[in-house]
Amino acid sequence: MSFDALFLQICGAIALVILSLSFMIVAFRVIVGPSLPDRVLALDTMTVVAIGFIAVAAAITGLVVYADIAIALGLVGFLATVAFARFIIASRQNGDDDTGNEEHVRK
Amino acid sequence: MMRYGIVLILAIVWLAVSASYTIPNLVLGLIVGALVTFLVREQSGEAPKVRPLAVALLVILFVKELLLSAWKVAKLVLSPRMNLQPGIFSYPLKVSTDFEITLLANLITLTPGTLSVDVSDDRRTLFVHAINCSDIEAARRDIETGFERKILEAFR
Amino acid sequence: MIETLQNITAGLLLLAGSAFILTATLGLVRLPDLYTRMHAASKAGTVGSCVMLIALVFVPGADGVAGRVAAGVLFFLLTAPVSAHLLAKAAYISGTRLSSSSVADHLKTTYARDEAK
Repeated sequence: MSFDALFLQICGAIALVILSLSFMIVAFRVIVGPSLPDRVLALDTMTVVAIGFIAVAAAITGLVVYADIAIALGLVGFLATVAFARFIIASRQNGDDDTGNEEHVRK
Repeated sequence: MMRYGIVLILAIVWLAVSASYTIPNLVLGLIVGALVTFLVREQSGEAPKVRPLAVALLVILFVKELLLSAWKVAKLVLSPRMNLQPGIFSYPLKVSTDFEITLLANLITLTPGTLSVDVSDDRRTLFVHAINCSDIEAARRDIETGFERKILEAFR
Repeated sequence: MIETLQNITAGLLLLAGSAFILTATLGLVRLPDLYTRMHAASKAGTVGSCVMLIALVFVPGADGVAGRVAAGVLFFLLTAPVSAHLLAKAAYISGTRLSSSSVADHLKTTYARDEAK
């Protein structure tokens, strides 16, 4: 293996370590909360970390079809966040507010 | 007219995503684009005027600001002591159409220290969360002379 | 020669992207309230994932991935602010408070807190 190919592998390994660390930090925020929007935001960021993982996997294996999976995951993550946000608004309007927050009312 | 443009753009995106630049694939992309625009009937009336040069300048400004904002957030997060003065300020809009307001709100979100939160019902005021809200007037001026002016130049 | 340059560029971009993602997650933990956390997640997170995707363009032997990556990056740039905006609005309506260090809240008059409850 040439030096530069090895360099790419090493960079990929370091990136995997950094991403694992990020993943644990996000998991902490998902568990701790404190409110539902905080957890949704953390899950959204988790998608970003997962996209990073897939990109590293694609780069170190050379199988760039993984890029499709990363893009599809970004799509699904966006839809999930939008659905959650609408759920938060809807649950507020129905009065069954379980977000653990004080409520706001539109004047 | 607007609809054919959208179909064409969707077909080009289809080509880029499927990574096979052949005539049959282009036809397939056009068919898919037509199907999509048929399913999503609700369309905005007329196409905005587009000035290519001004749009290019807007894109360049945006990429620069985006990288700068990621860098600033990184520096802020890594600094040992964070002295934040966050807050939500109102911003009187000069742009008026839905397209322009959406564009401005999205650009504001991805630029340093600001995040659009809400638009008033009459679409005249944008509510922006700023990570450093100590000087509201300066923040308003930045948006006004930066993105809003560029958007008005590009699409009017 | 070109392959050497490609490998090194891809490696450095992978490192830069993961560093941005790490700062986004650190911001998620360190910043005081939801809205400031959203700054970190939406900006550093978007740039991080985009940079990591762009790194794939430089991987040797990656034919035809440039178009897909360009579409993906454009897609991330369009959707990230939309989801951030919607979540911030939902959070404000559901009553997530700004941190105590906040200096202004011009939205307060639009959504009054329900004192009766």
